[in-house]
Amino acid sequence: MAGPGAVAPVEHAHASHVARYAIVWIALLALTFATWGLSRFHIPGGWGVAVALGIATAKSALVALFFMHLWDQRGANRLVLVTSLVFVALLVGLTLSDSATRFPLSNPPGSEGALPVGPTDYGGPPPVPPRDRGLTP
Amino acid sequence: MNPSPASELQGYNPRNYLNSPATGLKSWLTTLDHKRIGVMFLVAVTVAFALGGFFALLIRLELLTPGPTIVDAMTYNRLFTLHGVVMIFLFMIPAIPSAFGNFLLPIMLGAKDVAFPRLNLLSFYLYLAGASVALYGMVHGGADTGWTFYTPYSTTTTTKVVPILLGAFILGFSSILTGLNFIVTTHTMRAPGMTWNRLPLFVWSIYATAVIQILATPVLGMTLLLVAIEHAFGWGIFDPARGGDPVLFQHFFWFYSHPAVYIMILPAMAVMSEVVCAFSRKNIFGYKAVAYSSLGIAFVGFFTWGHHLFTSGQSTLTGGVFGVLSMFVGIFTAIKVFNWTATLYRGSISFTTPFAYFVGFLFFLVFGGMTGIALATMSLDVHWHDTYFVVAHFHFIMVGATLMAFLAALHYWLPKMTGRMYPENWGLVAAVMVVLGFNFTFIPQFLLGNEGMPRRYFSYPERFWALNVASTAGASVLAIGLVIVLVYLLVAIRRGAVAGANPWGSRGFEWDTPSPPPPENYETTPVYTHGPHEYHEDPEPPRHAAPEPKHV
Amino acid sequence: MSETTATAAPSFLAHHFESLEKQTHAARLGMWLFLATEILLFTALFTAYAVYRYLFTPDFQAASRDLATWIGLVNTLVLVTSSFTVAMGYGRAVRGDGKGTRALFLVSVLLALVFLGFKVVEYSHHFHAGELPGRLYVSTRLQGPGAPIFYALYFLITGLHAVHVVVGMTILAVIGLRAGRGAYTREYHVPVELAGLYWHLVDLIWIFVFPLVYLI
Repeated sequence: MAGPGAVAPVEHAHASHVARYAIVWIALLALTFATWGLSRFHIPGGWGVAVALGIATAKSALVALFFMHLWDQRGANRLVLVTSLVFVALLVGLTLSDSATRFPLSNPPGSEGALPVGPTDYGGPPPVPPRDRGLTP
Repeated sequence: MNPSPASELQGYNPRNYLNSPATGLKSWLTTLDHKRIGVMFLVAVTVAFALGGFFALLIRLELLTPGPTIVDAMTYNRLFTLHGVVMIFLFMIPAIPSAFGNFLLPIMLGAKDVAFPRLNLLSFYLYLAGASVALYGMVHGGADTGWTFYTPYSTTTTTKVVPILLGAFILGFSSILTGLNFIVTTHTMRAPGMTWNRLPLFVWSIYATAVIQILATPVLGMTLLLVAIEHAFGWGIFDPARGGDPVLFQHFFWFYSHPAVYIMILPAMAVMSEVVCAFSRKNIFGYKAVAYSSLGIAFVGFFTWGHHLFTSGQSTLTGGVFGVLSMFVGIFTAIKVFNWTATLYRGSISFTTPFAYFVGFLFFLVFGGMTGIALATMSLDVHWHDTYFVVAHFHFIMVGATLMAFLAALHYWLPKMTGRMYPENWGLVAAVMVVLGFNFTFIPQFLLGNEGMPRRYFSYPERFWALNVASTAGASVLAIGLVIVLVYLLVAIRRGAVAGANPWGSRGFEWDTPSPPPPENYETTPVYTHGPHEYHEDPEPPRHAAPEPKHV
Repeated sequence: MSETTATAAPSFLAHHFESLEKQTHAARLGMWLFLATEILLFTALFTAYAVYRYLFTPDFQAASRDLATWIGLVNTLVLVTSSFTVAMGYGRAVRGDGKGTRALFLVSVLLALVFLGFKVVEYSHHFHAGELPGRLYVSTRLQGPGAPIFYALYFLITGLHAVHVVVGMTILAVIGLRAGRGAYTREYHVPVELAGLYWHLVDLIWIFVFPLVYLI
């Protein structure tokens, strides 16, 4: 957050930027193929998601830094982007961790960690009441 | 290009934003002047407040007796829903930022306008559009879901919930544009010498509010849209019969709505930081602490939303995490309360109407805040959730703190905005009525809630009768006090005594302009050599030292 | 202090700004704040997707495999390329070559049309297969409760994204045509930059949508 007298970086000669854009574009194409190729290996568990997210993050960093010029611009703009990403992580992270740590009855039936799907869930026929096993006196 | 002559500063400024550059309805509706836009917002939110207050009075009338009094249960559900929707989305969120923030922010920064005047005007029209859509829904019966629109009821109710959702969605954009404008203005339009550490504290808090508006409102927009879509088309992701999780809605809703309460309180704190300095004739104690605590509230407020879900079925671990995080927010509010109080110490206090509202604000903020911390304790909340204890807590903050701040702002800045003064005697009388009426309305509600009276119920057991009557009586006094305020303010705007540039002798920067200010705020760009509210023995020389800087 | 020269038309500088440099910085900051709101808008949908993918992992994986991954791949390549052409178009504007900007922006618009064309193909396939959101889901391929939710989120996320593609295309077209008519100069081409920022955000969002919806 520069004071009122500060000067923004002067726009440099832009010959280099064309080459920069082209290199970033090639990298983006390559990373796209990479993420698609890696997905075909069906990496198990959360690692597949982690790899996919990692590559996506790298691609978006390239777009943000070079196509959107954050690489050579003021801190205020970078701060805005980084701050919004912090809050993305906050919403996704805390909400997901809630679903992951709930008492089983609190999650939708049939979902991860919840009770298995019963016959009345999702509009099936009502169950036949269990026969009296003679427990009542 | 010269500073305003002293004579102009004493009287009513003849060439001001109200009559320049043009008069007439069209010039107002197409204005780009932030002051005019602020005034239009002020009128709009006051009308909205009257509407929301009318719903509140109907609610309190209904609760005068245990059984049905004036309406049936279904109508009562719509009344409290509309009371909440109107008060929160049409009054509390926009009132201080869009009315006073718009008017004052550029003046306090030494600027001629906000960064994006056309977006500013757009934010006003979006407010009107959102209000109209919501009003359409209200006229056709309104919704009965509560302002919180919990699923699955909100996705299955046959009432007119979709227009109200869409109205709130549009209002969200108004809020976003205001926040965007304020942030950019603060970053880029400060006059020479106005460093971040010389900003008026009003600006710091409004800036923090704007950050919340930018980050939180889109999530609300998406959430309301999802409910509207599910209601209209059945694309359910919240429907438990189709594997949906209704608590997920609550996570999304409160991710916005908890920071939203800080959108409501931070501007109130902004006003109070100015008022306390002006009427103690003393600079704030601990400027940096107060300034940074605003950012602290804005930031930490985002980490606490789950305390609204303690009894909804979220995991105990998550509840515990949110409970602990919720405690931290209290720290920043406490910092402000201590610093405001310390500002009073050894100040030269003038007990004017704005100061009276400040005193009310302080007490109600402390008790409202402390009951908030108590509610954030999960084990206590199990007992209090969805009772009148919660209702009393948030009304202590919203009415006791924010409304008092709004009234303080009206009185403090009326001379600046209109060039005229209100009658001080009436001001104090009304302030006493408002504060007393407020106490009688909401203290009984703490007691009711603690004894178990649920919120949003239109009937109750007889043992709650007396306290409900007391609450309604208090509400009547509060309403009369507010009507008195409205009447004498309207009279003062037309026929009040001429106030001059600085009737309070305040050293806030906005008082350096004539009253009412000229359209361009400052004839020459001011140069700042120190912060606001510096009340020393020798007065500062005029700060309009240099002629207009050259444009390239 | 400022790098703007005497040829900067005074009409570019608004009366309430001190200098063109401040005005430019304000415009960029304002745009980034707006982009932040767009990011948060999609975050709600991504959160829902994350939660339901966690809750119904087998159903989501099965439904994801059912999608035409090659279309997703082609669309990603198309969108990334359109980002490149937009960046190049901005590079032309910096040199004062409005016609170059116009040409490159129009190429970007065409690429966006290709993207939307593929989306239309995908959507119509889903309609015919009954793979629709929520209570409209009538497909018999996947029976678990997660499938209608997957498609609800699929249509919401890609639909909202497609709306942004349309808006972005419109902005690019308008700004590109204006640039071609000489509305911007070497000294002042901020609208071109802002249009580019919006388009790059549209690309950014898709960069996350593609792997999360099609690949995992």
